[in-house]
Amino acid sequence: MDYEFAFGEVFANADLLLRGIWLTAALWLIAFATALVAGLFLGIARGSTRKALNWVATAYIEVFRNTPVLVQLVWFYYAFPVLTGIQMSAFTAASLGLCLNTSAYCAEIYRGGLQSITAGQWEAGRALGMPYWTLMRRIILPQAVRRMVPAFTNRAVELAKMTSIASVITVHELMNEARTLATQSFLPLETFTVVAIIYFVLIWPGTVAASLLERHLAAKGA
Amino acid sequence: MGYEWDFSPVWRNAGPLLEGLGNTLWLSAWSILLGLALGLALALLRLSRSRIASVAALVVIEFYRNTPPLVHFFWYFFGLPILIGVSLSPFAAALLALSVQSGAFFAEIFRGGIVSIERGQWEAGRALGMSEARLMRRIILPQAVRRMIPPLMERSFELVKTTALAATLAYGELLYRAMVIASQSFRPLEIYTAVAVIFFTVLFLASLGMRHVEVRLRRGHR
Repeated sequence: MDYEFAFGEVFANADLLLRGIWLTAALWLIAFATALVAGLFLGIARGSTRKALNWVATAYIEVFRNTPVLVQLVWFYYAFPVLTGIQMSAFTAASLGLCLNTSAYCAEIYRGGLQSITAGQWEAGRALGMPYWTLMRRIILPQAVRRMVPAFTNRAVELAKMTSIASVITVHELMNEARTLATQSFLPLETFTVVAIIYFVLIWPGTVAASLLERHLAAKGA
Repeated sequence: MGYEWDFSPVWRNAGPLLEGLGNTLWLSAWSILLGLALGLALALLRLSRSRIASVAALVVIEFYRNTPPLVHFFWYFFGLPILIGVSLSPFAAALLALSVQSGAFFAEIFRGGIVSIERGQWEAGRALGMSEARLMRRIILPQAVRRMIPPLMERSFELVKTTALAATLAYGELLYRAMVIASQSFRPLEIYTAVAVIFFTVLFLASLGMRHVEVRLRRGHR
């Protein structure tokens, strides 16, 4: 192993990687924010007593959880336009695919959290004459969301890792820029090592935060 | 939507697609086996009394848990050969990337399972004069393994989904075969839909199987 590392050239192209990091962050933020909203409605539908609603939500969740993300992104980028005649940009297709995928996982987190709230809370709210959504917003969600935070943080970490898959459908996020750089510089070893470290630095704090939150909640007995 | 579905390219290419599924499962099986072995080794190092071994294992586990799998696929395929002077086949690179990463996840499951056994069990074993190794084999592991099986299975399903990334290294698994066929037949919609259905069927059946095992494990515990 007398290979001479040439990290200098990788750092000389830091601007390329920084541009990639920026797009990775944008992809992550858009997909996560929209998935949190979509997931809430899916989670409620999944826990609904109405058969049709429940069935549709269950089917959606199972389909997205039981197929690879890469297949989903490829489907939205290459197959969906054939069906609808709408050609999305790679970034839009990736955001959509990642959002839908993450919303399926978030739905299960919401459902679990909502179920953990005792029936008495619902009954008390109803006895006060609160409408469903007010009760949900004022009484149930504030209690449930606190218990869900660690799970959502874990999901955010998973999503951050998933964004790299968007590189396959030509979104110029960090992983895609890394592939370009590795090819141009003939330095794949250095490039992918540096990029792996960048991802670690970006993602690891999330994992640490999730486990701290979990411990904090466990200590509070929530 | 006046699109006329035509699944004939899927049926015409059923042979290569099924072969691709076979390769997906082949890669999955070997990665799970190697990953379990690596995971057990990492867990034992992590639990060992030697501080250096424990910290080293922790670094490997945390690094691999907090970086995207796709980076590892590229690192092992394009980077590692430069370091060791031997080029790797797409299968070998994918196998390494998948098994090392899932090994990191498996290690945490093994460790969690062993740590979850109450201290009283250790003390009782010691009081009976059992050696450490015997105590582990006879008392701790039989109880811990029960708790490890569901998360180990869940992680293995994640791994099966991740094998789709091997398509980026042109390993002939299901998605790669589909990409080739889609570009020849100009029927991406039908072909990628078929791939999603195949993955879904395999993974959904597997998750039903897992639920069955979970129920049996719980019943056995009583």
